[in-house]
Amino acid sequence: MLAALLIAAFSQSIDSTPPPRPPRTVAIDERLAADAGIHVGDRLLLTPTPGGDVGSAGSGDSVIVSALVRRRADPSEVARAEYRVRMHLDELQALIGYGDRVDRFAVSARGTAGTDSALRRINDAAFGFRAYRSRDIAVETSRTFLVVSRFHRAIGVITIVASAIFLLCIMLLKVDERRRDVAALRLMGISARSIVRSVMVEAALVAVVGSAVGVGLGWLSSQIINWHYRGVYRTPLAFAVVTPGIVLLAVSLSLALGLIAGFVAAQRLVHMSPLELLSGRREERSPAAAATAG
Amino acid sequence: MSDVVMKASDLRREYHMGGELVRAVRGVTLEIARGDYVAIVGPSGCGKSTLLNLLGGIDRPTTGSVTIEGSRIDQLSDAAATRFRLHHIGFVFQRFYLMPALTAIENIELPMAEAKIPRDKRVRRGRELLAYVGLEARYGHRPAQLSGGEQQRVAIARALANKPQLLLADEPTGELDAKTGTEMIELLAQVNRDGTTIVVVTHDEDLAGAAHRVVHMRDGVVVDDRRQR
Repeated sequence: MLAALLIAAFSQSIDSTPPPRPPRTVAIDERLAADAGIHVGDRLLLTPTPGGDVGSAGSGDSVIVSALVRRRADPSEVARAEYRVRMHLDELQALIGYGDRVDRFAVSARGTAGTDSALRRINDAAFGFRAYRSRDIAVETSRTFLVVSRFHRAIGVITIVASAIFLLCIMLLKVDERRRDVAALRLMGISARSIVRSVMVEAALVAVVGSAVGVGLGWLSSQIINWHYRGVYRTPLAFAVVTPGIVLLAVSLSLALGLIAGFVAAQRLVHMSPLELLSGRREERSPAAAATAG
Repeated sequence: MSDVVMKASDLRREYHMGGELVRAVRGVTLEIARGDYVAIVGPSGCGKSTLLNLLGGIDRPTTGSVTIEGSRIDQLSDAAATRFRLHHIGFVFQRFYLMPALTAIENIELPMAEAKIPRDKRVRRGRELLAYVGLEARYGHRPAQLSGGEQQRVAIARALANKPQLLLADEPTGELDAKTGTEMIELLAQVNRDGTTIVVVTHDEDLAGAAHRVVHMRDGVVVDDRRQR
């Protein structure tokens, strides 16, 4: 029994026939799959250059598509239109004939705690390499977007200032249209405070409803913009986002502006006499009356 | 309390307009008894509306005094005069001046709300007043859904909301047709019969004819003051 086992083990150890090689697999870009009609399980011919031969080392390889890769929402990749194929490093090296050569590679850390020491050790030990945090690279590659973002913020501030002036003018005009109503209220005995309060409540309501409509329109616009540019650039990136912070800023700003505009407009009216409001003309004051009033 | 609800003494009102001194009221003295119905008549520009504004504490006399229920309203601050009008004087205007966004009953509730009357009492009184002016079925209508006569009825009901001793009306039939004007004259007479003192400024001879006393003005002075009944 023991002898039989030894013979079997020995016969295996001297068998130099390599085991059957599993088929090489690659993962391809989802866009490439969609454009070329490729599905998982399809067999492809990979060559380092377009139209290259198969067979000879470094000139081509037959592979099976094992996965489709969806692009990340990365602003730096928006403008890149080339297709991508992911494959094992050794197979890539064999395919393109680069040998033992790598331009860049990523190291995934389990946590943030050891990242600093890992960076330090790699930078100390790996001559000719430089290690960075992915966050630092993202910042570096996003500088253009930061400039664009600041530009958008500047446009936003200009829009808000213009809207504030516009809102104030509209509010003044709308309240001025109602000067006869205000005069009647004053004649009836409604106090200036009540009139100012009601105008401000109305202004606040208009501001809240207006900002709610604005947020709704903004959200709808962002959906349309995202749908359009995601189609154009084929990326899951969100080009326009209505965040809770933006909503809060918009509502509070419009509420504040509405209240200020309402207050200014109402104060303007209640400081005129009801008769002036009704007749629409201001009495000229005699020098004596002016001196008395002053 | 005295039988005189309002007393105006040597009222004068002067102002500058277009660089010229206008003497709108030139020394008017008037006493109005409680429950009286007084019509102030005269040609356009004679100062009758200015006099009404002075009597209602809307305008301040250059000299002279106005006393209503013992209060010198010409000496009150703007806020105090507004408060005084709320509780003691009802105003009716030629152009109604109802709040367009509010219903008939809400318009009537306005002065009561300002006077801090609880909502249930306001609604009850509002309905009573609408019934009084013959518009109980129109309480939920907005001014745009009412005829001119109906709007003026709502305006009268609003003026009576806080049970004022004095009702001042400036050309209340001025915007109404003859038939509606007659109805309005009857309504004002009813209001007076029910105890409210009325001072009305008018060109309408029928309205003036319904008053107990007619004060004729010309060039800012009273030229005739006659009791009719």
